[in-house]
Amino acid sequence: MAVHLAPDKLADLETAVALVQPGSMVALGGGLSARLPMALVRGLIRAAIGDLHVVGSAHSIDVDLLAAAGAISVCEESYVGYEQDHGLAPAFRRAAQEGSLEARESCCDTILTQLRAAEMGLSFLPVHGVKGTDIEELHPEYSRVTCPFTGHEYVAVPPLAPDAALIHAPIGDRKGNLHIEQPYVLDERFAVASAMTIATVDRIATTDEVAAAGIVIPHYRVAAVVEAPFGAHPSSCYPGYSYDRAHLAFWVKAARTPEGAQDYLLRHVTGVDEDGYRQLVGADRLEHLTGYRASDQAWMEMFR
Amino acid sequence: MSYRFGLDELFVVELARTVRDAEVVFHGFGSPCATVAMHLAKRTHAPHALLIEGATYAVNPSPAFIAPSSNDHSLKRGSAYSMRFEEAFDMSIRGDMDLMFLSGIQIDAYGNTNVTAVGGMPHPKVKLGGGGGGCNMSATIGRLTLWTTNHRSGRCLVGECDFITDIGHRTPEGTRSELGYPGGGPDALVTELGVFDYPEGRARLRRLFPDVTLAEAKAVTGFEFAVAADLAPIQTPSRHQIDLVRAIDPLGVRRREFRPAELERSFSL
Repeated sequence: MAVHLAPDKLADLETAVALVQPGSMVALGGGLSARLPMALVRGLIRAAIGDLHVVGSAHSIDVDLLAAAGAISVCEESYVGYEQDHGLAPAFRRAAQEGSLEARESCCDTILTQLRAAEMGLSFLPVHGVKGTDIEELHPEYSRVTCPFTGHEYVAVPPLAPDAALIHAPIGDRKGNLHIEQPYVLDERFAVASAMTIATVDRIATTDEVAAAGIVIPHYRVAAVVEAPFGAHPSSCYPGYSYDRAHLAFWVKAARTPEGAQDYLLRHVTGVDEDGYRQLVGADRLEHLTGYRASDQAWMEMFR
Repeated sequence: MSYRFGLDELFVVELARTVRDAEVVFHGFGSPCATVAMHLAKRTHAPHALLIEGATYAVNPSPAFIAPSSNDHSLKRGSAYSMRFEEAFDMSIRGDMDLMFLSGIQIDAYGNTNVTAVGGMPHPKVKLGGGGGGCNMSATIGRLTLWTTNHRSGRCLVGECDFITDIGHRTPEGTRSELGYPGGGPDALVTELGVFDYPEGRARLRRLFPDVTLAEAKAVTGFEFAVAADLAPIQTPSRHQIDLVRAIDPLGVRRREFRPAELERSFSL
Protein backbone atom coordinates (compact mmCIF):
# COMPACT_ATOMS: atom_id res chain seq x y z
CA MET A 1 0.00 0.00 0.00
CA ALA A 2 3.06 2.15 -0.33
CA VAL A 3 2.94 5.22 -2.54
CA HIS A 4 5.14 5.43 -5.61
CA LEU A 5 6.42 8.91 -6.28
CA ALA A 6 9.00 8.62 -9.07
CA PRO A 7 8.18 11.24 -11.70
CA ASP A 8 8.55 8.83 -14.62
CA LYS A 9 7.41 5.20 -14.31
CA LEU A 10 7.73 4.28 -17.99
CA ALA A 11 9.48 0.92 -18.19
CA ASP A 12 9.96 -1.94 -20.60
CA LEU A 13 8.04 -5.16 -20.02
CA GLU A 14 11.04 -7.15 -18.73
CA THR A 15 11.92 -4.51 -16.14
CA ALA A 16 8.32 -4.22 -14.98
CA VAL A 17 7.83 -7.96 -14.70
CA ALA A 18 11.04 -8.29 -12.66
CA LEU A 19 9.35 -6.28 -9.89
CA VAL A 20 7.32 -9.41 -9.15
CA GLN A 21 9.22 -11.75 -6.85
CA PRO A 22 8.79 -15.51 -7.12
CA GLY A 23 6.41 -16.68 -4.41
CA SER A 24 4.53 -13.40 -4.17
CA MET A 25 0.80 -12.71 -4.06
CA VAL A 26 -0.40 -11.23 -7.32
CA ALA A 27 -3.79 -9.65 -8.03
CA LEU A 28 -4.96 -10.02 -11.63
CA GLY A 29 -6.97 -7.07 -12.94
CA GLY A 30 -9.95 -7.10 -15.26
CA GLY A 31 -12.00 -10.28 -15.49
CA LEU A 32 -13.52 -12.94 -17.75
CA SER A 33 -13.04 -11.71 -21.32
CA ALA A 34 -12.15 -8.10 -20.52
CA ARG A 35 -8.92 -6.23 -19.79
CA LEU A 36 -6.88 -9.17 -18.56
CA PRO A 37 -3.21 -8.18 -18.02
CA MET A 38 -2.06 -10.63 -20.70
CA ALA A 39 1.21 -8.92 -21.73
CA LEU A 40 2.29 -9.05 -18.07
CA VAL A 41 1.15 -12.66 -17.76
CA ARG A 42 3.19 -13.59 -20.84
CA GLY A 43 6.10 -11.58 -19.43
CA LEU A 44 5.96 -13.47 -16.13
CA ILE A 45 5.99 -16.79 -17.97
CA ARG A 46 8.96 -15.72 -20.16
CA ALA A 47 10.86 -14.67 -17.05
CA ALA A 48 9.92 -17.96 -15.33
CA ILE A 49 8.63 -16.12 -12.25
CA GLY A 50 6.61 -18.75 -10.46
CA ASP A 51 5.24 -20.06 -7.17
CA LEU A 52 2.64 -17.32 -7.41
CA HIS A 53 -0.43 -16.91 -5.21
CA VAL A 54 -2.97 -15.36 -7.58
CA VAL A 55 -6.07 -13.60 -6.25
CA GLY A 56 -9.09 -12.08 -7.96
CA SER A 57 -12.68 -12.50 -9.02
CA ALA A 58 -13.82 -14.29 -12.19
CA HIS A 59 -10.96 -14.94 -14.61
CA SER A 60 -10.06 -17.01 -17.64
CA ILE A 61 -7.03 -17.33 -19.91
CA ASP A 62 -4.74 -15.26 -17.66
CA VAL A 63 -4.94 -17.83 -14.86
CA ASP A 64 -5.13 -20.72 -17.33
CA LEU A 65 -1.87 -19.73 -19.07
CA LEU A 66 -0.05 -19.23 -15.76
CA ALA A 67 -1.34 -22.63 -14.63
CA ALA A 68 -0.13 -24.23 -17.87
CA ALA A 69 3.31 -22.73 -17.25
CA GLY A 70 3.34 -24.19 -13.72
CA ALA A 71 3.66 -20.68 -12.30
CA ILE A 72 0.81 -20.86 -9.74
CA SER A 73 1.05 -22.51 -6.33
CA VAL A 74 -2.19 -21.10 -4.89
CA CYS A 75 -5.19 -19.92 -6.90
CA GLU A 76 -7.57 -17.79 -4.83
CA GLU A 77 -9.92 -16.68 -7.61
CA SER A 78 -13.71 -16.93 -7.46
CA TYR A 79 -13.94 -18.54 -10.89
CA VAL A 80 -11.61 -19.68 -13.66
CA GLY A 81 -13.14 -20.63 -16.99
CA TYR A 82 -14.69 -19.53 -20.26
CA GLU A 83 -18.35 -19.42 -19.20
CA GLN A 84 -20.84 -21.35 -21.31
CA ASP A 85 -18.93 -20.53 -24.48
CA HIS A 86 -15.75 -22.58 -24.14
CA GLY A 87 -16.40 -24.13 -20.74
CA LEU A 88 -13.84 -25.21 -18.16
CA ALA A 89 -10.25 -23.92 -18.18
CA PRO A 90 -8.24 -26.98 -19.27
CA ALA A 91 -4.81 -26.20 -17.81
CA PHE A 92 -6.17 -24.81 -14.54
CA ARG A 93 -8.48 -27.79 -14.17
CA ARG A 94 -5.67 -30.26 -14.83
CA ALA A 95 -3.33 -28.60 -12.31
CA ALA A 96 -6.10 -28.47 -9.66
CA GLN A 97 -6.99 -32.13 -10.19
CA GLU A 98 -3.35 -33.26 -10.13
CA GLY A 99 -2.77 -31.22 -7.01
CA SER A 100 0.15 -29.26 -8.48
CA LEU A 101 -1.88 -26.11 -7.76
CA GLU A 102 -3.98 -25.45 -4.64
CA ALA A 103 -7.43 -24.26 -5.72
CA ARG A 104 -8.29 -22.14 -2.68
CA GLU A 105 -11.51 -20.98 -4.28
CA SER A 106 -12.94 -17.76 -2.93
CA CYS A 107 -16.00 -15.58 -3.54
CA CYS A 108 -16.03 -12.21 -5.33
CA ASP A 109 -17.62 -10.55 -2.32
CA THR A 110 -15.20 -12.11 0.17
CA ILE A 111 -12.22 -10.92 -1.89
CA LEU A 112 -13.77 -7.44 -2.02
CA THR A 113 -14.25 -7.44 1.76
CA GLN A 114 -10.67 -8.60 2.38
CA LEU A 115 -9.29 -5.88 0.10
CA ARG A 116 -11.38 -3.31 1.97
CA ALA A 117 -9.96 -4.54 5.28
CA ALA A 118 -6.46 -4.02 3.89
CA GLU A 119 -7.41 -0.56 2.57
CA MET A 120 -8.76 0.45 5.97
CA GLY A 121 -5.88 -1.05 7.90
CA LEU A 122 -8.24 -3.40 9.76
CA SER A 123 -7.21 -6.84 10.99
CA PHE A 124 -10.51 -8.40 9.85
CA LEU A 125 -13.97 -7.72 8.50
CA PRO A 126 -17.10 -9.89 8.66
CA VAL A 127 -18.87 -11.23 5.58
CA HIS A 128 -22.59 -11.87 5.24
CA GLY A 129 -22.43 -15.35 3.74
CA VAL A 130 -19.94 -18.22 3.44
CA LYS A 131 -21.11 -19.74 6.76
CA GLY A 132 -22.57 -23.18 6.11
CA THR A 133 -20.88 -23.56 2.71
CA ASP A 134 -17.85 -25.72 2.03
CA ILE A 135 -15.92 -22.68 0.78
CA GLU A 136 -15.17 -21.96 4.44
CA GLU A 137 -13.36 -25.33 4.69
CA LEU A 138 -10.90 -24.26 1.98
CA HIS A 139 -9.79 -21.29 4.11
CA PRO A 140 -8.25 -22.11 7.50
CA GLU A 141 -7.34 -18.41 7.71
CA TYR A 142 -11.04 -17.48 8.12
CA SER A 143 -12.58 -17.43 11.57
CA ARG A 144 -15.92 -16.64 13.22
CA VAL A 145 -16.80 -13.46 15.09
CA THR A 146 -19.82 -12.54 17.18
CA CYS A 147 -21.26 -9.06 16.76
CA PRO A 148 -21.10 -7.24 20.14
CA PHE A 149 -24.38 -5.44 19.38
CA THR A 150 -26.65 -8.14 17.95
CA GLY A 151 -24.97 -11.39 18.93
CA HIS A 152 -25.02 -12.51 15.31
CA GLU A 153 -22.17 -14.80 14.34
CA TYR A 154 -20.36 -13.88 11.11
CA VAL A 155 -17.50 -15.46 9.22
CA ALA A 156 -14.50 -13.15 9.76
CA VAL A 157 -11.93 -12.75 7.01
CA PRO A 158 -8.42 -11.31 7.23
CA PRO A 159 -7.12 -8.44 5.08
CA LEU A 160 -5.77 -9.25 1.65
CA ALA A 161 -2.80 -7.11 0.64
CA PRO A 162 -1.26 -8.44 -2.59
CA ASP A 163 2.41 -7.80 -3.30
CA ALA A 164 1.52 -6.61 -6.78
CA ALA A 165 -1.58 -5.75 -8.78
CA LEU A 166 -1.26 -6.37 -12.53
CA ILE A 167 -3.56 -4.07 -14.46
CA HIS A 168 -4.06 -3.35 -18.14
CA ALA A 169 -5.57 -0.04 -19.27
CA PRO A 170 -6.30 1.49 -22.67
CA ILE A 171 -4.36 4.66 -21.85
CA GLY A 172 -2.08 5.94 -19.13
CA ASP A 173 0.61 8.59 -18.76
CA ARG A 174 4.31 8.21 -17.91
CA LYS A 175 3.61 9.03 -14.26
CA GLY A 176 1.27 6.03 -14.01
CA ASN A 177 -2.15 7.68 -14.09
CA LEU A 178 -4.52 5.16 -15.67
CA HIS A 179 -7.86 5.50 -17.39
CA ILE A 180 -10.05 2.42 -17.72
CA GLU A 181 -13.65 1.92 -18.76
CA GLN A 182 -16.31 0.20 -16.69
CA PRO A 183 -16.58 -2.46 -15.51
CA TYR A 184 -13.55 -1.63 -13.38
CA VAL A 185 -14.13 -4.94 -11.59
CA LEU A 186 -11.78 -4.96 -8.56
CA ASP A 187 -9.00 -2.90 -10.15
CA GLU A 188 -9.48 0.19 -7.97
CA ARG A 189 -9.45 -1.95 -4.82
CA PHE A 190 -6.41 -3.93 -6.01
CA ALA A 191 -4.51 -0.71 -6.73
CA VAL A 192 -5.03 0.58 -3.19
CA ALA A 193 -4.70 -2.68 -1.24
CA SER A 194 -1.56 -3.91 -3.05
CA ALA A 195 2.01 -2.88 -2.30
CA MET A 196 2.33 -1.75 -5.91
CA THR A 197 0.50 -1.70 -9.20
CA ILE A 198 2.30 -2.77 -12.35
CA ALA A 199 0.45 -1.49 -15.39
CA THR A 200 0.45 -2.02 -19.10
CA VAL A 201 -1.37 0.37 -21.42
CA ASP A 202 -2.26 0.08 -25.08
CA ARG A 203 -0.95 3.62 -25.53
CA ILE A 204 1.00 6.14 -23.46
CA ALA A 205 -0.88 9.44 -23.52
CA THR A 206 -0.37 12.90 -22.05
CA THR A 207 -1.57 13.57 -18.52
CA ASP A 208 -4.14 15.99 -19.96
CA GLU A 209 -5.60 13.30 -22.20
CA VAL A 210 -5.77 10.73 -19.39
CA ALA A 211 -7.32 13.31 -17.04
CA ALA A 212 -9.91 14.28 -19.66
CA ALA A 213 -10.86 10.62 -20.13
CA GLY A 214 -10.97 10.18 -16.35
CA ILE A 215 -8.22 8.92 -14.04
CA VAL A 216 -9.44 5.75 -12.36
CA ILE A 217 -6.13 4.69 -10.82
CA PRO A 218 -3.88 7.55 -9.69
CA HIS A 219 -0.15 7.65 -10.43
CA TYR A 220 1.00 7.22 -6.82
CA ARG A 221 -0.35 3.66 -6.73
CA VAL A 222 1.62 2.66 -9.81
CA ALA A 223 5.25 1.49 -9.68
CA ALA A 224 5.75 0.92 -13.41
CA VAL A 225 3.85 1.53 -16.61
CA VAL A 226 4.63 -0.26 -19.86
CA GLU A 227 3.34 0.57 -23.33
CA ALA A 228 2.00 -2.73 -24.70
CA PRO A 229 -0.30 -2.33 -27.71
CA PHE A 230 -3.03 -4.97 -27.67
CA GLY A 231 -1.59 -5.96 -24.31
CA ALA A 232 -4.93 -7.45 -23.19
CA HIS A 233 -5.26 -9.71 -26.25
CA PRO A 234 -6.98 -12.17 -26.53
CA SER A 235 -9.25 -10.41 -23.99
CA SER A 236 -10.82 -7.07 -24.86
CA CYS A 237 -9.72 -3.57 -23.98
CA TYR A 238 -12.53 -1.24 -24.90
CA PRO A 239 -12.75 1.30 -26.47
CA GLY A 240 -9.84 -0.16 -28.42
CA TYR A 241 -10.74 -3.71 -29.33
CA SER A 242 -13.16 -6.50 -28.58
CA TYR A 243 -12.08 -9.90 -27.32
CA ASP A 244 -10.80 -12.52 -29.74
CA ARG A 245 -13.27 -15.34 -29.42
CA ALA A 246 -11.54 -17.49 -32.05
CA HIS A 247 -8.19 -17.18 -30.30
CA LEU A 248 -9.73 -18.23 -26.98
CA ALA A 249 -11.26 -21.25 -28.72
CA PHE A 250 -7.88 -22.03 -30.28
CA TRP A 251 -6.15 -21.96 -26.88
CA VAL A 252 -8.85 -24.01 -25.14
CA LYS A 253 -8.65 -26.66 -27.85
CA ALA A 254 -4.84 -26.73 -27.73
CA ALA A 255 -4.79 -26.91 -23.93
CA ARG A 256 -6.93 -30.04 -23.78
CA THR A 257 -3.66 -31.98 -23.68
CA PRO A 258 -0.55 -31.02 -21.71
CA GLU A 259 1.46 -31.24 -24.95
CA GLY A 260 -0.93 -28.88 -26.74
CA ALA A 261 -0.69 -26.38 -23.90
CA GLN A 262 3.12 -26.52 -23.97
CA ASP A 263 3.14 -26.07 -27.77
CA TYR A 264 1.02 -22.96 -27.39
CA LEU A 265 3.30 -21.58 -24.68
CA LEU A 266 6.38 -22.20 -26.79
CA ARG A 267 4.91 -20.68 -29.90
CA HIS A 268 2.90 -17.78 -28.47
CA VAL A 269 4.73 -16.90 -25.24
CA THR A 270 8.26 -18.08 -24.54
CA GLY A 271 9.34 -18.27 -28.18
CA VAL A 272 8.41 -14.66 -28.94
CA ASP A 273 8.39 -11.20 -27.40
CA GLU A 274 5.26 -9.00 -27.51
CA ASP A 275 6.12 -7.74 -31.03
CA GLY A 276 6.46 -11.33 -32.12
CA TYR A 277 3.18 -12.23 -30.42
CA ARG A 278 1.33 -9.51 -32.30
CA GLN A 279 2.89 -10.64 -35.59
CA LEU A 280 1.84 -14.19 -34.87
CA VAL A 281 -1.76 -13.14 -34.18
CA GLY A 282 -1.57 -10.99 -37.29
CA ALA A 283 -2.03 -7.31 -37.97
CA ASP A 284 -5.20 -8.02 -39.96
CA ARG A 285 -6.73 -9.97 -37.10
CA LEU A 286 -5.91 -7.25 -34.56
CA GLU A 287 -7.28 -4.60 -36.90
CA HIS A 288 -10.45 -6.69 -37.27
CA LEU A 289 -10.96 -6.62 -33.48
CA THR A 290 -11.04 -2.82 -33.54
CA GLY A 291 -13.86 -2.93 -36.12
CA TYR A 292 -16.59 -3.65 -33.57
CA ARG A 293 -17.49 0.04 -33.42
CA ALA A 294 -18.66 0.27 -37.04
CA SER A 295 -22.18 -0.89 -36.13
CA ASP A 296 -24.15 -3.20 -33.83
CA GLN A 297 -24.14 -5.67 -36.70
CA ALA A 298 -20.35 -5.54 -37.02
CA TRP A 299 -20.00 -5.99 -33.28
CA MET A 300 -22.32 -9.00 -33.32
CA GLU A 301 -20.43 -10.57 -36.22
CA MET A 302 -17.30 -10.57 -34.02
CA PHE A 303 -18.93 -13.32 -32.00
CA ARG A 304 -20.59 -15.45 -34.66
CA MET B 1 -50.19 -23.02 -40.08
CA SER B 2 -48.76 -23.92 -36.70
CA TYR B 3 -46.04 -21.83 -35.13
CA ARG B 4 -43.12 -23.94 -33.92
CA PHE B 5 -40.56 -23.16 -31.27
CA GLY B 6 -37.75 -24.97 -29.53
CA LEU B 7 -37.13 -26.15 -26.00
CA ASP B 8 -34.49 -23.43 -25.53
CA GLU B 9 -37.09 -20.77 -26.29
CA LEU B 10 -39.76 -22.22 -24.00
CA PHE B 11 -37.13 -22.70 -21.27
CA VAL B 12 -36.20 -19.01 -21.39
CA VAL B 13 -39.87 -17.99 -21.24
CA GLU B 14 -40.31 -20.17 -18.15
CA LEU B 15 -37.26 -18.59 -16.48
CA ALA B 16 -38.60 -15.12 -17.31
CA ARG B 17 -41.88 -15.94 -15.56
CA THR B 18 -40.03 -15.99 -12.23
CA VAL B 19 -39.27 -12.24 -12.53
CA ARG B 20 -41.84 -9.90 -10.97
CA ASP B 21 -42.43 -6.34 -12.03
CA ALA B 22 -40.66 -3.46 -10.26
CA GLU B 23 -38.00 -5.53 -8.57
CA VAL B 24 -34.19 -5.56 -8.68
CA VAL B 25 -32.94 -8.47 -10.78
CA PHE B 26 -29.41 -9.77 -11.32
CA HIS B 27 -27.69 -12.74 -12.92
CA GLY B 28 -24.08 -13.80 -12.70
CA PHE B 29 -21.63 -14.57 -15.48
CA GLY B 30 -21.90 -17.62 -17.71
CA SER B 31 -25.69 -17.47 -17.66
CA PRO B 32 -26.97 -16.95 -21.20
CA CYS B 33 -30.48 -18.36 -20.58
CA ALA B 34 -30.89 -16.16 -17.51
CA THR B 35 -29.61 -13.13 -19.43
CA VAL B 36 -32.15 -13.59 -22.19
CA ALA B 37 -34.90 -14.29 -19.64
CA MET B 38 -34.19 -11.07 -17.76
CA HIS B 39 -34.48 -9.00 -20.92
CA LEU B 40 -37.61 -10.89 -21.99
CA ALA B 41 -39.26 -10.17 -18.62
CA LYS B 42 -38.30 -6.50 -18.85
CA ARG B 43 -39.86 -6.24 -22.31
CA THR B 44 -43.06 -8.05 -21.36
CA HIS B 45 -44.56 -8.39 -17.88
CA ALA B 46 -41.86 -6.64 -15.80
CA PRO B 47 -41.23 -3.30 -17.53
CA HIS B 48 -40.36 -1.56 -14.26
CA ALA B 49 -37.76 -4.11 -13.12
CA LEU B 50 -34.33 -2.69 -12.32
CA LEU B 51 -32.16 -4.97 -14.37
CA ILE B 52 -28.45 -5.31 -13.52
CA GLU B 53 -26.65 -6.81 -16.47
CA GLY B 54 -24.38 -9.65 -15.43
CA ALA B 55 -20.70 -8.94 -15.08
CA THR B 56 -20.96 -5.48 -16.68
CA TYR B 57 -23.21 -4.26 -13.82
CA ALA B 58 -24.90 -1.96 -16.36
CA VAL B 59 -28.34 -0.78 -15.25
CA ASN B 60 -31.27 -1.34 -17.63
CA PRO B 61 -29.31 -1.78 -20.86
CA SER B 62 -30.93 -2.85 -24.12
CA PRO B 63 -28.21 -4.80 -25.93
CA ALA B 64 -28.59 -5.40 -29.67
CA PHE B 65 -27.54 -9.02 -29.12
CA ILE B 66 -26.37 -11.22 -26.26
CA ALA B 67 -22.60 -11.70 -26.40
CA PRO B 68 -21.09 -15.09 -25.56
CA SER B 69 -19.10 -13.51 -22.70
CA SER B 70 -21.06 -11.81 -19.92
CA ASN B 71 -18.76 -8.83 -19.38
CA ASP B 72 -18.49 -7.80 -23.00
CA HIS B 73 -19.22 -4.11 -23.39
CA SER B 74 -21.86 -4.79 -26.04
CA LEU B 75 -24.11 -5.81 -23.13
CA LYS B 76 -23.92 -2.24 -21.74
CA ARG B 77 -25.57 -0.73 -24.83
CA GLY B 78 -28.34 1.72 -24.02
CA SER B 79 -27.44 1.89 -20.34
CA ALA B 80 -26.83 5.40 -19.01
CA TYR B 81 -25.21 4.13 -15.82
CA SER B 82 -23.16 1.14 -14.75
CA MET B 83 -22.80 0.19 -11.11
CA ARG B 84 -19.36 -0.31 -9.75
CA PHE B 85 -18.62 -3.90 -8.73
CA GLU B 86 -18.73 -2.66 -5.11
CA GLU B 87 -22.18 -1.11 -5.48
CA ALA B 88 -23.66 -4.26 -6.99
CA PHE B 89 -22.22 -6.53 -4.30
CA ASP B 90 -23.08 -4.19 -1.42
CA MET B 91 -26.63 -3.98 -2.73
CA SER B 92 -26.93 -7.75 -2.80
CA ILE B 93 -25.49 -8.51 0.62
CA ARG B 94 -27.50 -5.70 2.21
CA GLY B 95 -30.60 -7.48 0.95
CA ASP B 96 -31.70 -4.85 -1.58
CA MET B 97 -31.65 -7.24 -4.53
CA ASP B 98 -34.91 -9.08 -5.01
CA LEU B 99 -33.99 -11.87 -7.40
CA MET B 100 -30.87 -13.57 -8.67
CA PHE B 101 -30.56 -16.41 -11.18
CA LEU B 102 -28.19 -19.15 -10.08
CA SER B 103 -27.19 -22.45 -11.67
CA GLY B 104 -25.42 -25.54 -10.39
CA ILE B 105 -23.57 -28.54 -11.77
CA GLN B 106 -25.08 -30.36 -8.77
CA ILE B 107 -28.26 -29.24 -7.00
CA ASP B 108 -29.76 -31.01 -3.97
CA ALA B 109 -33.34 -31.14 -2.67
CA TYR B 110 -32.82 -28.03 -0.51
CA GLY B 111 -31.44 -26.03 -3.43
CA ASN B 112 -27.82 -26.05 -2.32
CA THR B 113 -25.60 -25.90 -5.39
CA ASN B 114 -22.13 -27.11 -6.27
CA VAL B 115 -20.14 -25.28 -8.92
CA THR B 116 -16.74 -25.91 -7.29
CA ALA B 117 -15.79 -29.56 -7.68
CA VAL B 118 -17.30 -32.89 -8.63
CA GLY B 119 -15.89 -35.35 -6.09
CA GLY B 120 -15.41 -32.53 -3.56
CA MET B 121 -12.24 -30.81 -2.38
CA PRO B 122 -9.30 -30.99 -1.91
CA HIS B 123 -9.12 -33.88 -4.38
CA PRO B 124 -11.61 -33.04 -7.12
CA LYS B 125 -12.56 -35.55 -9.77
CA VAL B 126 -13.52 -32.55 -11.91
CA LYS B 127 -12.48 -29.07 -10.81
CA LEU B 128 -15.32 -26.85 -11.98
CA GLY B 129 -15.01 -23.14 -12.70
CA GLY B 130 -16.10 -21.85 -9.32
CA GLY B 131 -18.90 -19.92 -7.69
CA GLY B 132 -18.17 -16.26 -8.45
CA GLY B 133 -20.08 -14.22 -5.88
CA GLY B 134 -22.66 -16.89 -5.06
CA CYS B 135 -21.59 -18.04 -1.61
CA ASN B 136 -22.30 -14.61 -0.14
CA MET B 137 -25.08 -13.45 -2.45
CA SER B 138 -27.16 -16.62 -2.06
CA ALA B 139 -27.38 -15.87 1.67
CA THR B 140 -28.93 -12.42 1.40
CA ILE B 141 -30.78 -11.90 -1.89
CA GLY B 142 -34.57 -11.89 -1.62
CA ARG B 143 -35.07 -15.06 -3.63
CA LEU B 144 -33.21 -17.23 -6.09
CA THR B 145 -34.32 -18.79 -9.35
CA LEU B 146 -32.19 -21.88 -9.88
CA TRP B 147 -31.86 -23.47 -13.28
CA THR B 148 -30.15 -26.36 -15.00
CA THR B 149 -30.23 -27.72 -18.53
CA ASN B 150 -28.71 -31.02 -17.39
CA HIS B 151 -31.45 -32.68 -15.32
CA ARG B 152 -31.84 -35.63 -17.72
CA SER B 153 -28.23 -36.73 -17.20
CA GLY B 154 -29.11 -37.96 -13.71
CA ARG B 155 -25.96 -36.28 -12.40
CA CYS B 156 -27.33 -32.83 -11.63
CA LEU B 157 -30.24 -33.22 -9.22
CA VAL B 158 -28.44 -35.23 -6.57
CA GLY B 159 -29.15 -36.58 -3.09
CA GLU B 160 -26.15 -34.75 -1.73
CA CYS B 161 -23.82 -32.19 -3.31
CA ASP B 162 -20.15 -33.23 -3.28
CA PHE B 163 -19.40 -29.65 -2.21
CA ILE B 164 -21.73 -26.82 -1.20
CA THR B 165 -20.76 -23.61 -2.97
CA ASP B 166 -24.03 -21.68 -2.62
CA ILE B 167 -26.67 -21.85 0.09
CA GLY B 168 -30.10 -23.35 -0.45
CA HIS B 169 -32.71 -23.74 2.31
CA ARG B 170 -30.63 -25.91 4.63
CA THR B 171 -27.04 -27.07 4.86
CA PRO B 172 -25.54 -29.58 7.32
CA GLU B 173 -24.86 -26.57 9.59
CA GLY B 174 -28.52 -25.62 9.78
CA THR B 175 -31.48 -23.92 8.16
CA ARG B 176 -31.30 -20.42 6.73
CA SER B 177 -32.86 -18.97 9.86
CA GLU B 178 -30.49 -20.91 12.11
CA LEU B 179 -27.59 -19.56 10.05
CA GLY B 180 -29.08 -16.07 10.37
CA TYR B 181 -29.51 -15.50 6.65
CA PRO B 182 -32.07 -12.86 5.71
CA GLY B 183 -32.52 -13.93 2.06
CA GLY B 184 -35.43 -16.16 1.12
CA GLY B 185 -33.36 -18.76 -0.75
CA PRO B 186 -34.43 -20.76 -3.81
CA ASP B 187 -37.98 -20.03 -4.91
CA ALA B 188 -37.98 -21.91 -8.21
CA LEU B 189 -35.88 -24.48 -10.02
CA VAL B 190 -36.34 -24.62 -13.78
CA THR B 191 -34.89 -27.67 -15.55
CA GLU B 192 -35.20 -28.88 -19.11
CA LEU B 193 -37.79 -31.38 -17.81
CA GLY B 194 -39.91 -29.30 -15.46
CA VAL B 195 -40.27 -26.65 -12.79
CA PHE B 196 -39.95 -27.10 -9.02
CA ASP B 197 -40.87 -24.80 -6.15
CA TYR B 198 -39.86 -24.97 -2.46
CA PRO B 199 -42.99 -24.73 -0.30
CA GLU B 200 -41.35 -26.26 2.80
CA GLY B 201 -37.77 -25.47 1.87
CA ARG B 202 -37.62 -28.65 -0.21
CA ALA B 203 -38.05 -29.11 -3.95
CA ARG B 204 -41.61 -29.96 -5.10
CA LEU B 205 -42.47 -30.62 -8.74
CA ARG B 206 -44.91 -28.01 -9.96
CA ARG B 207 -44.90 -28.21 -13.77
CA LEU B 208 -43.61 -30.52 -16.51
CA PHE B 209 -42.63 -29.65 -20.05
CA PRO B 210 -45.37 -30.94 -22.38
CA ASP B 211 -43.22 -33.79 -23.74
CA VAL B 212 -42.03 -35.08 -20.34
CA THR B 213 -43.70 -37.60 -18.00
CA LEU B 214 -43.54 -37.71 -14.22
CA ALA B 215 -41.86 -41.12 -14.41
CA GLU B 216 -39.10 -39.70 -16.62
CA ALA B 217 -38.48 -36.86 -14.18
CA LYS B 218 -38.42 -39.22 -11.19
CA ALA B 219 -35.99 -41.61 -12.87
CA VAL B 220 -33.28 -38.98 -13.25
CA THR B 221 -33.73 -37.16 -9.93
CA GLY B 222 -31.42 -38.25 -7.12
CA PHE B 223 -33.77 -37.20 -4.31
CA GLU B 224 -37.38 -37.91 -3.41
CA PHE B 225 -39.66 -35.02 -4.21
CA ALA B 226 -43.28 -34.14 -3.58
CA VAL B 227 -45.56 -33.47 -6.51
CA ALA B 228 -47.97 -30.54 -6.50
CA ALA B 229 -51.63 -31.58 -6.41
CA ASP B 230 -52.25 -29.43 -9.48
CA LEU B 231 -49.25 -30.71 -11.45
CA ALA B 232 -49.74 -29.53 -15.01
CA PRO B 233 -47.84 -28.95 -18.21
CA ILE B 234 -45.92 -25.70 -18.53
CA GLN B 235 -48.09 -22.87 -19.72
CA THR B 236 -48.05 -22.29 -23.45
CA PRO B 237 -46.07 -19.17 -24.37
CA SER B 238 -47.36 -16.46 -26.64
CA ARG B 239 -46.00 -15.99 -30.11
CA HIS B 240 -44.89 -12.54 -29.00
CA GLN B 241 -42.73 -14.03 -26.21
CA ILE B 242 -41.03 -16.47 -28.58
CA ASP B 243 -40.44 -13.74 -31.17
CA LEU B 244 -38.86 -11.60 -28.47
CA VAL B 245 -36.53 -14.39 -27.34
CA ARG B 246 -35.27 -14.64 -30.91
CA ALA B 247 -34.93 -10.87 -31.26
CA ILE B 248 -33.09 -10.46 -27.94
CA ASP B 249 -30.65 -13.29 -28.68
CA PRO B 250 -30.08 -13.41 -32.45
CA LEU B 251 -26.77 -15.27 -31.98
CA GLY B 252 -28.58 -18.05 -30.13
CA VAL B 253 -26.11 -17.91 -27.24
CA ARG B 254 -28.85 -19.46 -25.03
CA ARG B 255 -28.60 -22.66 -27.09
CA ARG B 256 -25.04 -23.28 -25.88
CA GLU B 257 -26.44 -24.36 -22.52
CA PHE B 258 -28.22 -27.40 -23.99
CA ARG B 259 -27.15 -30.81 -25.20
CA PRO B 260 -27.82 -31.29 -28.94
CA ALA B 261 -30.61 -33.82 -28.30
CA GLU B 262 -32.51 -31.32 -26.14
CA LEU B 263 -32.36 -28.77 -28.93
CA GLU B 264 -34.23 -31.23 -31.15
CA ARG B 265 -37.29 -30.90 -28.92
CA SER B 266 -39.90 -28.60 -30.38
CA PHE B 267 -43.44 -27.53 -29.63
CA SER B 268 -46.14 -25.69 -31.50
CA LEU B 269 -48.81 -23.10 -30.95
